[in-house]
Amino acid sequence: MANKVLGIINFEPSYVHVEGIENYRPASATSVLGRYRVIDFAMSNFANSGIQKINVYIKSKPRTLIEHINGTNYNINSKRGIIRLLPSERNGGNEIYNTDLRVMMDHVEYLESSSANYVVIAPSHFIYTQDFNKLVDEHIKSKNDITMLYQIVNNADKNFVMCDTLDIDKNGKVKGIGRNLGNNKRQLISLETYVMSRKLFIDLIYAGLAISSAYSLRDAIVASYKNYKVGAYCHGASAYCISSLMAYYNSTMHIRKENEVKALITDEWPIHTMTSDSCPTLYADTADVKGSIIGNGCKIEGKVINSVIGRNVVIKKGAVIKDSIILPNATINKDVHLDKCVVDRYAIVTHAKDLHGEDNNPLYVARRDRI
Amino acid sequence: MKKNNMVAMILAGGRGSRLYDLTTTIAKPAVHYGGRYRIIDFPLSNCANSNISTVGVLLQYESVVLGSYVTREYTWGLNMNGGGVFALSPREKDSSDFGVYRGTADAITQNLDFLDNEEADYVLILSGDHIYKMNYDKMLQAHIKSKAEATIAVMEVPMKEASRMGIMSTNKEDRVVEFQEKPAKPKSNLASMGIYIFSYKTLKKYLKEDDKDVNSNHDFGKDIIPKYLEEGLRVQAYRFKGYWKDVGTIDSLWEANMDLLDPNNTLDLFDDWKIYSDDGNPVPQSIGDNAKIKAAYITQGARVDGEVDHSVVFTNCFVKEGAKVVDTVLMNDVVVGSGAKLTRCLVADGTKIPDGMKLGSSKSEQILLVTNKLVAEQGGKKHGK
Repeated sequence: MANKVLGIINFEPSYVHVEGIENYRPASATSVLGRYRVIDFAMSNFANSGIQKINVYIKSKPRTLIEHINGTNYNINSKRGIIRLLPSERNGGNEIYNTDLRVMMDHVEYLESSSANYVVIAPSHFIYTQDFNKLVDEHIKSKNDITMLYQIVNNADKNFVMCDTLDIDKNGKVKGIGRNLGNNKRQLISLETYVMSRKLFIDLIYAGLAISSAYSLRDAIVASYKNYKVGAYCHGASAYCISSLMAYYNSTMHIRKENEVKALITDEWPIHTMTSDSCPTLYADTADVKGSIIGNGCKIEGKVINSVIGRNVVIKKGAVIKDSIILPNATINKDVHLDKCVVDRYAIVTHAKDLHGEDNNPLYVARRDRI
Repeated sequence: MKKNNMVAMILAGGRGSRLYDLTTTIAKPAVHYGGRYRIIDFPLSNCANSNISTVGVLLQYESVVLGSYVTREYTWGLNMNGGGVFALSPREKDSSDFGVYRGTADAITQNLDFLDNEEADYVLILSGDHIYKMNYDKMLQAHIKSKAEATIAVMEVPMKEASRMGIMSTNKEDRVVEFQEKPAKPKSNLASMGIYIFSYKTLKKYLKEDDKDVNSNHDFGKDIIPKYLEEGLRVQAYRFKGYWKDVGTIDSLWEANMDLLDPNNTLDLFDDWKIYSDDGNPVPQSIGDNAKIKAAYITQGARVDGEVDHSVVFTNCFVKEGAKVVDTVLMNDVVVGSGAKLTRCLVADGTKIPDGMKLGSSKSEQILLVTNKLVAEQGGKKHGK
């Protein structure tokens, strides 16, 4: 069964802007819980579903993903599996032409030469866990042309902004696709995850680009879904969309709680990642840590409350970190107070003694910055 | 052929019987240490970091867990073409009956074919149960430079401990002139660390002779090194300064873990000479709203919502709200129930401490080894009365 499915990981659509973070890597490579990157969830969903052939499309700034993604990290069979990293070669030109459809077309031979009957297309900027086998089984059983994964959410006014919303009839068929403009709390949010035959996928690429050279896969589906039998499958568990710095911050603060971590990552459905062999974390006599997720390799002398601390972070005596995200290898020096901040990798905060973000606007400290 | 090819042979067949229940089903080198490691990660990582590509691991006692662990060679980056980690258990041979390794030297003698295949120029003999960081390549350079047939890593120990160890007397050039195994009256305080480099051709000759010697213990310390000295072969001491620990007992294993909490500890696990280990896919450590942590060494997968004071917490442990853990080592997958209190304990892998159970004491001289068996006995006592 699993051999007949080709995994597709799509790159982030144009509405995704993780301010600050995106200057250094794609949204999909953003650090999650100090240990993972966002794309680890999509990769692990494929690997855990036994789907061992995966095309990963990359829009720009590929360095992080090229370093991070390999078969060993995700438990992909070294002989029977393959991960293809397929970067855009158009990112120097006009941004509007640098679409997923265009990159898929540029590398279309890797779709045409595949022997898979079906494709599962998953986004790289969402965090959720889903057994794709189950999804494919449902798709086959329903005789749909396309099956879309969605989730009913009650915080669409703040999160999932600009994501697709679905209008579903009582038979579970998609009658309409809209945009979440943040006007309602309750929405059926598309998780931008699709199952279809490999043949239909290739047809959609050709058809979409025939209409417009600037079309994305979403555009192509919106333009033509009325011609097909499109079903919807409810995910039924937590899902997060990393579409902005605010969304990243809110999602992280939500997952930070132990029950949420356990809901998302289980022994049966582990999230694979590149490991770094950091030693355990050393808490000094003066440490005071509560309500936080802490990566390995940290040295903590200060106070950490309701925060997420990445790998190899140093927090000196007298420092207070509250409601913040510290990415790996950053240093927070003596007596620095951080509240609602996102501190990027290798940054060193020494002289700015008081950094405060706002409720709807976390303060971002850039990679390798010294302040 | 590689130039100056040094093959490492790690002696990992020992039980470590003074670790009691920790080694009933696994060999001592497989015992967990320091939050996320197994002891054998230290010599294996030292090999990898010293650019050694071929490592034989000599297995004997309870070899299943250890053998399957060490052969996942990518864990330490020892999976290069032309190299690898090879599990070498005793085997049936055409010329002799199936037998166990009779001593440290015999373990190598029985695998001379392996060393021939690997085209070894030098053989590095290591123990699988020592905790330390060492650059073996520097030791090899010293061995080559001094034109020695054997080089022994040594360190200075307090005089009172010298009578428990193999002691070297050296001349001005650090050439070994005398070797005493556990001497009553030690002539020096230079102790052998059980780390040897041998030039292979000569070693092979002496091992073959030793094999036939019915009076031999087939042991490097007792037989081979004395033989080398007797024959006037050049044996050189290589001085090591730094952290080195042979964890033979519950107390010393506990101590080695507690060393990691000492700000002046000389074993730096944060530096660039990384110790690699199987990651095992745990989630990051999660510290709850009720946690109180000071002076602790905690690794990924651990959940702490209680109090942890001057303790080491290994992978996937859970310290529940209201639990208190003081001067204690919690090995993998330990659960400490609410209201339970542990003081000066070493808690074995997978032990579940029920709510409210109190074990160990700040006044006890010895460290209490806590296992599920002990917990059941304690629980039984309580209910029996």
